[in-house]
Amino acid sequence: MKVLFKPWLLALLCLNVLSVLTVPTAQAHGEKALEPFIRMRTIQWYDVQWSTQKFNVNEEVSVSGKFHVAEDWPISVPKPEASFLNISTPGPVLIRTERYLNGKPWTNSVSLEPGGDYEFKVVLKGRLPGRYHIHPFFNLKDAGQVMGPGVWLDIGGDPGDFRNTLKTINGEVIDMESFGFANGVFWHLFWGVLAAGWLLWWVRRPLFISRYRMLDAGLEQELITAQDKFIAKAVLVGVPVLVLALNAVTANRYPDAIPLQAGLDRILPLPAQVNAGTVNVDAIKAEYNVAQRAMLLQVSVDNRSQGAVRIGEFSSSNVHFMNAELADVGHMPGKDDVSNNGLSLDNNTPIAPGEQRTVTIEVRDAAWESEKLDGLIKDADSRIGGLLFLYDDVMGKRYISSISAAVIPKFN
Amino acid sequence: MSAQIPISTFNPYRGEKARLVRAYDYLILVLALFLFIGSFHLHFALTVGDWDFWVDWKDRQWWPLVTPLIGITFPAAVQAVLWDKFRLPLGATLCVAALLLGTWVTRVFAYHYWNYFPINMVLPATMVPGALVLDTLLMLTNSLTITSIFGGAAFALLFYPTNWPIFGMFHQAVEYHNSQLTVADLFGFQYIRTGMPEYLRIIERGTLRTYGQYATPLAAFCSALLCSLMYPLWWYIGKWFADTRYLKSI
Repeated sequence: MKVLFKPWLLALLCLNVLSVLTVPTAQAHGEKALEPFIRMRTIQWYDVQWSTQKFNVNEEVSVSGKFHVAEDWPISVPKPEASFLNISTPGPVLIRTERYLNGKPWTNSVSLEPGGDYEFKVVLKGRLPGRYHIHPFFNLKDAGQVMGPGVWLDIGGDPGDFRNTLKTINGEVIDMESFGFANGVFWHLFWGVLAAGWLLWWVRRPLFISRYRMLDAGLEQELITAQDKFIAKAVLVGVPVLVLALNAVTANRYPDAIPLQAGLDRILPLPAQVNAGTVNVDAIKAEYNVAQRAMLLQVSVDNRSQGAVRIGEFSSSNVHFMNAELADVGHMPGKDDVSNNGLSLDNNTPIAPGEQRTVTIEVRDAAWESEKLDGLIKDADSRIGGLLFLYDDVMGKRYISSISAAVIPKFN
Repeated sequence: MSAQIPISTFNPYRGEKARLVRAYDYLILVLALFLFIGSFHLHFALTVGDWDFWVDWKDRQWWPLVTPLIGITFPAAVQAVLWDKFRLPLGATLCVAALLLGTWVTRVFAYHYWNYFPINMVLPATMVPGALVLDTLLMLTNSLTITSIFGGAAFALLFYPTNWPIFGMFHQAVEYHNSQLTVADLFGFQYIRTGMPEYLRIIERGTLRTYGQYATPLAAFCSALLCSLMYPLWWYIGKWFADTRYLKSI
């Protein structure tokens, strides 16, 4: 008894310890795991916003925004010929009720054009209460998931309130939460009973050793009786006939059934929003200072607009580096992915209309490291990409350029 | 196996021996059930996978081709053992029933309670009728060749009509945001799967276009041919793995 006591006591202690330890739910979606050059130079998200972050089961929430498909698409990533705008959720805690690309509703995958500009909107409906970290993101065929900016959503209410009904083309109203379930269970039970009957028919008599010995003794004919054969013949004929009859009944019941739909949606990009030709920006050189966690971008700005412009923001992989010198221009205080004074210029004076100027931009912030963007210098494709936002304060206009350049690391 | 021992010399077990032998039967049955639930279910999930998981993957081309082809493997192997060594014609039905038990447990606990999918979105397909035909055909013919050709073919050909009463209703058309979808497609659109974009579905892909819209029968007959070949292959795998030497020492 004493010998047994200690292991049992230890086991009890272990169980106690395990019971008080909390196991946190994983809420990340690997958004920092994808190689930086893919995050920076494929889908370039901007102006993404949620209609609300707190709502109840059965209430709708929408996320809308814009993205630019980078011209400098990495050679190692397949072109976005089949892409799917998805929502990262821990299971269907929300359902997707509507989705629009450039104002058009779409349900399948879509082919995107590098250099194209798109705006999107996804409408979701709360299904299960809880607090969830949610991103819009693109599944890119053969490339992976490129995350958009994430937020925390709080869904309140009672899961029992959730309703999801729709009308088929024949006018039948169906409840998606239970449609076909009872029917499926019925047929599984139906065939399950037949299978169980056949198994029990054989299991009720001595099985392995007895049958093996009889077979070994040449008593094969004793093992399969005439009754067994009669039942087997009935099953052999009856089951296929039953299957075909039930199939015919179902086919008659749903004469308008159609195959699963597998089309690819074709939606043209919007007129150019990024690299629209009014203010042209060309990246000349990029250096990354590892110790200072600072990216030095040398760009050539050609202002062909009617007003003076100033560089206000550099955005890459959902991190926004803001120019603190520009008041009231796109500052988003309090957001995790915004560096409010992460961007500074060697010359902050406005770039006059018609002026061409080479500007050195320093983008300095710990976000390079915390967002795992500094891994770029160890990638096989170490080109940086991102969106540069320029503002015309007087005219109230914004110009966006998608820039890219090879990055040279500086270790001292 | 010839009857070299006269029947009169065969001495069946009685009393305590008979009880022990029966207890052994039940022990093996329970172990076999769990073994097949685990192994066949794993094999099926890794090979048929999404075609069996999701209602919007059950198309008319690949689903009736892939599912019976993979589904006939374990039944053939287990039949090889149970029929050859024990004249028990229940290998296929046992395997398919074990697979369904495992599948239902996962669909309810993993897909519904753990990942919140409605169960109707992840209803499994059934292969019970095909398995019953395989078992009875083997029993009545005692022929590997006939069971391979006709049993294998029946296993494949019966698959789609067996499951149409379960899944036909999910193929009703819905007008949704200016497009036509099936109810099944709509499940895929509405109930968000982060790791399952629409383009990943391997449905309606291929060159079965010459014969108009009769893709299902063509896929089923293609599957029938392949099942006829897959059946003997796995029969011999079953025979290769099975070993009843120890029974001789009892």
